[in-house]
Amino acid sequence: MPQQGPERSSARPRPDASMSLLTEIMEHSLDDGYAEAARREKTAPRSTGTRLVVAAGLMIAALIVTVAATEAHDAAPVIAEERANLIDRVEDETAEADDLHGEVDRLRQDLEDSRSKALDNEGAAALERLGLLSGAIDVEGPGVRLVVDDAETTASAGGDGPRRSTGFTDTGRLRDHDLQKVVNGLWAAGAEAVSVNGQRLTALSAIRAAGDAIVVDNRPLAPPYTLLAIGDGDRLSDTFQNGADGRYLYVLQENYGIRTSISTQDKVSLPAAAGLTVRNAQPAGPAGKVTS
Amino acid sequence: MIAVLGLILGVVVGFFVRPEVPTAFEPYLPIAVVAALDAVFGGLRAMLDGIFDDKVFVVSFLSNVVVAALIVFLGDQLGVGAQLSTGVVVVLGIRIFSNVAAIRRHVFRA
Repeated sequence: MPQQGPERSSARPRPDASMSLLTEIMEHSLDDGYAEAARREKTAPRSTGTRLVVAAGLMIAALIVTVAATEAHDAAPVIAEERANLIDRVEDETAEADDLHGEVDRLRQDLEDSRSKALDNEGAAALERLGLLSGAIDVEGPGVRLVVDDAETTASAGGDGPRRSTGFTDTGRLRDHDLQKVVNGLWAAGAEAVSVNGQRLTALSAIRAAGDAIVVDNRPLAPPYTLLAIGDGDRLSDTFQNGADGRYLYVLQENYGIRTSISTQDKVSLPAAAGLTVRNAQPAGPAGKVTS
Repeated sequence: MIAVLGLILGVVVGFFVRPEVPTAFEPYLPIAVVAALDAVFGGLRAMLDGIFDDKVFVVSFLSNVVVAALIVFLGDQLGVGAQLSTGVVVVLGIRIFSNVAAIRRHVFRA
């Protein structure tokens, strides 16, 4: 960019010509009025009046700064109190939600009992089978217990693997899609029912992220993540660990320090799913007939 | 001497009287703080440069506060108040830094 000033038109452009705005701000930091006033009157006699004006100006400046400081100081406990109130509210509501979940479980148990009493044996068996598959009732059986936890130091900077690309900052932290892969691997290995930290997974379950937390069916989970899966214990465990998702988990363990342990259990118990509400879906015509 | 007394008086009044800032003026307080600091450091530098002028000091201080508050007020009306106050803080902040650098050169010759 050529220099604008006519007196320097023949000279080379200044090396910082493209940064003239920054230079302007940096070099004109002092108000131009000072230089002008100094030019106007070389020796200004300093009367008491001018000193008082300066003192008044400085007083206002000091007053503003002090008021801002005291305001911030006064506001700090109020902000902390509001924060504590919010935390209290969150905890209260969570406790209430837990209570309601308990009540749902109890009522569902009542419903199951009444229903099986009302139905004949054959119907009850079919219903129980449906409940098993849909996650509407508690199940138990042989299976595996898989515990996955974040790396020891979740802030450790890992490699620049693909895990970097997600919103989370810590590479040593298990992410929602890691958990999705693990759960998927368990299903693929032949698991018949899966739960994560006591949350039974159903056909309606979603595993997703909210901030730094993993959320299953709108309930945030805290590590370590304990996955229980019902299936043929040893075979389920082997198939999972040799499958693509098991190897993915192994890679996470090797490269990012994610801690995992898998064990075969003779008997694991999985709770029923909490929310199994179907609002829009309707059975399509008579059973077995598929409308196209 | 009187100037230093004024400074101390301002701190004392702010600390002990604790004037309530009306909520309407609360957003302009940070801007006023930065403008006040800018004026004080500018005046200090001018004093060390030997060109201090009391009228320029007071007028530039008051006009800076008013203009900064006006910019933020305008921004608030247009929905970009936070961005404009950031701009004011950046510009005045750069001025404060370079004035403090000049004061430092005066005092320490480095």
